[in-house]
Amino acid sequence: MTLTLSTQSESPERTTVHVHGRLDAQTFGEFDLAILDVLPRVVDGGTMVLDLSALEYISSAGLRSIAKIRKSMRARGGHTLLLNPQPQVRKVFDIVKAVPVNEVFASSRELDEYLDHMQRQITGDNAEVD
Amino acid sequence: MLLRSIASRLSLWVLAGSVSVLAVAGGVLFYRVSQQILEQAHGEATALASEAGNRIEQRLARVADTAQTLAAVIGPRPDDAEVMLRDALARNADLSGLAAAFVPMAENPPISPFVSRQADGSLDSRDLRKDDSPYWDKNWFLAGLSCSQGCWQRHFYSQSRKRELINYSVAISRGGHPVGLINADVSLDWLSRILQDLSKPPGAYAFVLDDSGSYLVHDNPALVGQRGHADLLRAAAQREASRLRLAVAQNPQAKGKPVWIYFTPIEGTRWRFGLVMPEATIYAGARQAFVRVLALGLLASLALAVITLAVTRRILAPLGTLASRAEEVARGALSFELPPARFPDEVGRLTHAFDRMRTELALHIAELTRNAREQQRLASELDIAHQIQTALLPGEHYLDAHCENFELHALLRPARAVGGDLYSYFMLNERRFCVMVGDVSDKGIPAALFMARTITLAKALAPRARTPQHLLSMLNTELCRNNESCMFVSLLCGMLDTFTGELVMASAGHEPPVLSDGQGARLIELDTGAALGLDEEASYPSRTLRLQPDQTLLLYTDGITEATDTRQAMFGTERMLACLEGSSPRTAADLASGLLAAVDRFAEGAGQADDITVLALSWHHALDDRNVPMLDLTISASMDTVFETLDRCDASLHAQGVAPDVRDDIRLVLEELMVNMVEHGRTRDTGDTIDLHMRLGDDAVLVELHHNGQPFDPLQAPPPTLTGDLADQEEVGGLGIHLVRAMASELSYSHDEQGNHLQLRFLHPARTESTS
Repeated sequence: MTLTLSTQSESPERTTVHVHGRLDAQTFGEFDLAILDVLPRVVDGGTMVLDLSALEYISSAGLRSIAKIRKSMRARGGHTLLLNPQPQVRKVFDIVKAVPVNEVFASSRELDEYLDHMQRQITGDNAEVD
Repeated sequence: MLLRSIASRLSLWVLAGSVSVLAVAGGVLFYRVSQQILEQAHGEATALASEAGNRIEQRLARVADTAQTLAAVIGPRPDDAEVMLRDALARNADLSGLAAAFVPMAENPPISPFVSRQADGSLDSRDLRKDDSPYWDKNWFLAGLSCSQGCWQRHFYSQSRKRELINYSVAISRGGHPVGLINADVSLDWLSRILQDLSKPPGAYAFVLDDSGSYLVHDNPALVGQRGHADLLRAAAQREASRLRLAVAQNPQAKGKPVWIYFTPIEGTRWRFGLVMPEATIYAGARQAFVRVLALGLLASLALAVITLAVTRRILAPLGTLASRAEEVARGALSFELPPARFPDEVGRLTHAFDRMRTELALHIAELTRNAREQQRLASELDIAHQIQTALLPGEHYLDAHCENFELHALLRPARAVGGDLYSYFMLNERRFCVMVGDVSDKGIPAALFMARTITLAKALAPRARTPQHLLSMLNTELCRNNESCMFVSLLCGMLDTFTGELVMASAGHEPPVLSDGQGARLIELDTGAALGLDEEASYPSRTLRLQPDQTLLLYTDGITEATDTRQAMFGTERMLACLEGSSPRTAADLASGLLAAVDRFAEGAGQADDITVLALSWHHALDDRNVPMLDLTISASMDTVFETLDRCDASLHAQGVAPDVRDDIRLVLEELMVNMVEHGRTRDTGDTIDLHMRLGDDAVLVELHHNGQPFDPLQAPPPTLTGDLADQEEVGGLGIHLVRAMASELSYSHDEQGNHLQLRFLHPARTESTS
C-alpha cells in the first residue's frame, strides 16, 4: 500500500492525521474516504493538523483532496494546519500556491506555539467579555 | 605653338598657296616673255649690227674712193703725185698715210712719194725709192699691183709710225698694165675708234673679224690678232647676216657668261662685223620687271596672309573659348561663361549647341549621380540581405556531436546576391534529426523573401511535427495563406532517427535524392506531393529508408541538374550520378564539394543561371550504448498500468543514479500527463495506448509520450487562477498541467493522425553513478 493514515485525537478541538506514502491519483480516493471518517471527530471550530512528515510525494489529485479537507474545516469554522511537508511536497505546494504560508509549519513545536497563541487570544477575548 | 591655332595654320597655307601660284604663274609668264624679248633683242641687235657694218663700210668706202680717185688721177701724171697725195691726205682725216709707188722702169722711174700724217698732225713725205730696202720687192707692193679694182691688204705694224696699220691698195694702170699703185693707210686705232663710236647697248661690245678669222679690231684690245672661236668662224663663214649663241664668251670681259653674237658682212671687204650682246643684258629688263612683280606679289601674299590671320582669328575667337570650355567640361566643371553668339553662323550654332549640351550634361550627370547613389544603396542593401540570408542557414558542416552516427555537409551558392534555394537541419529532440532542402520558384529578392518565410516557418513548425509529411502539410497550409503572388517552394524533408539510421522522407515536388555507397549512386524514387504554397489540400506521401553504414544521401536542387554549359547542354542526372559514383568511401564534404566542382567545370564560361544547393548526409552508424533507450514501453491507457509504469520509470531512473528530486519531478509530470490521457483522452472504448520512451542524455532525462487519443495540447491549456489558497475556489482545474509546465525543463507537443506527441526534457546536472 502506498498510502497509510494514522489519526491521533489529542483533544476534541485538535486532531492530527499522519500521512505516510504517496498521495496521488491512485491513492487520493482512499485518502478522501479515510478523512471522511476523521472529520466528524473534530468539533466545530476545532483544528485538524495534517502531519506530512512522512508524505513522500503529492500530485494534483492529492492537492485537490487537501483543498477539500480545508474547505470542509473552514465551513465548520475550523482550521487545517499542515505540518512539516517534505521538499517535493513543499515544492508542489509552492508552485500552485496551495495554502497560505501561515498555515504551514516546519515542526510540531512551531505548531504548538501557534496553537497556544491562538488559544490565548480566544481566552483573552473571552476574559475581556467576561 | 604657332601651328596649334587654326588661324595661323590657315594664313600660312594661304601664304604658301599664293606664293606658289605666283611663282608658277610668274615662271610661265617669264618664259613666254623672255622668248619674245629674245626675238625682239635679235631684231634690234641685228639691225644695230647691220647699221654699224654700214657705217664702217661707208668710212672704208671713202678711203677706197680716195685711193681709186688718186690712182686714176696720178696714173697719167706721176710727177704730181706728191702734191696730190698731200692734198688728199689733208682733206681726208681718216687716212693715216698715202703712198704712190711705181714699178721701177729701165728709164728713170717716177718718184714714189709717201705722205704720212705725223703724231702732231703735220704731214711728212718721203720718197720710197730712197728707202734702204727696195719696196718693189715687198709683198704689199706685189699684192697691191694685182688689185686693179683695189683691195684691202693684211694689217701690219709700221716701224716708222709705231702703230698697226692696214692699207688699201689700188693698182695704177697704164695701157692695161699696172705701173704702180696707190696705197692708202688707215690705222687700226682708227677702225677701233669707229667701233667704239658705234651706239651700243650697255654691256655690248663689237669686233671685226678679218678674212683669216682673226680679230682685226675688238673693243677689248687684248683680243686683237687672236683667232676667233671655232663656232664663231663657222657662223662668220656665211655670206649673210647671222647670229650665234656662245655658251661661254671668248672675251674675258663677259666673265664667261653666255652671249649672243650678231654678224654682218662688211661690203667691199672680206671682213665681218660682229656685235656681242651678253644674254644677261637682253633679259635684264624683263628680269628686273619680273623680280619687281614677284616682290609686289610676295608683299600682297603676305598682306593676304595677315588679313586671313586677323579675320580667321576674329571669326574663330569664340571657337577657342569653346575649346577651353570643352576642356573644362572634360574636367567636370560645368558652370562657366560662354562667349556671346554674334552671328547665326556655324560658330553661333556651335555656341548654342554647346550651351544646350552643358545644361543637358549637368542634368544627366545629376541623374547619373542619383542613380549611382541609388545603385549603391541597393547594392549595400543586397549585401546586407545576403548576410541575413546566410545567417538563416545553419553551418555548412554538422557532425553529430553525441554519437558521431552521422555527418552532414551542405553547400549553397546563390546565382545572385540572394537566392531562393534553402537547406536547413536541426535536432528535433535528442534522437530525431530533421533535414530539408528546398527551392523557391523564381530567383532574386522575391525568392529570397519566400525562402526566409519558408525556412523560418519550417523551424517553428518542426517541433510540432512528428513526421516529414506532417511537417510538409503544416508548412503548405501556412504558405498557402495570403500567397497572392502564387510563389511556391519545392521541398524535400527527411527525419532521421539518429539511433537507428531510419530515415523518413517526404517530398513536395522536389528532385529525388541520390543514395551513394560502394555499389554506386542511384536515385531514390519517391512519390511527391504538390509544391508548397499552391494547393491547400495537398497531401504528402512518405517513404522510409534505413541508412546503412557508409551510405551517403544527397539532396540537391535543380541548379545542379539544370546547369548548362556554353552549348546549352544540361548537366543532367546521368552526369551527376556518374560524378557521385566511386568505390572508395568519401566524406560528405568531399562528395558535396566534388559534385559542385564538377558542375563548375561543366558550366565554365556559361555563368551560373540558377541557385545551387547540395547537401550530403553520411551515415556512419557508430552506435553508442549511452543512447540505448532506458525505457521503451507501450502500455494500454488505464490507471493501473499508468502507475505500474510510473514505478518502472522511477526504478529505472533510480538505477541510473538520477537524483531523487529529479525523479520525483519526472514522476509527477508523467503522472499528471498520463492520468490526463487516461481520464480525458479516450477516443475508443478500448485500444488506447500510450507509448513511452525514456532516455538518459548527458545532462538530461528525455521522455517522449505518444498517445493515440483525443488531441490535447498541454501547452495551450489556460493557466489556473491561483489565489494563494486552493480552498478558496469551488473546483480548481488545470493544476496538473500547471505543475507539468513548471517542472519539465522543456516540453513540446505535436499532433498528427497518429495522435498526441509530447517531448519532455528534465535537466539533471548532478548525475552520479551511485545508486543510493
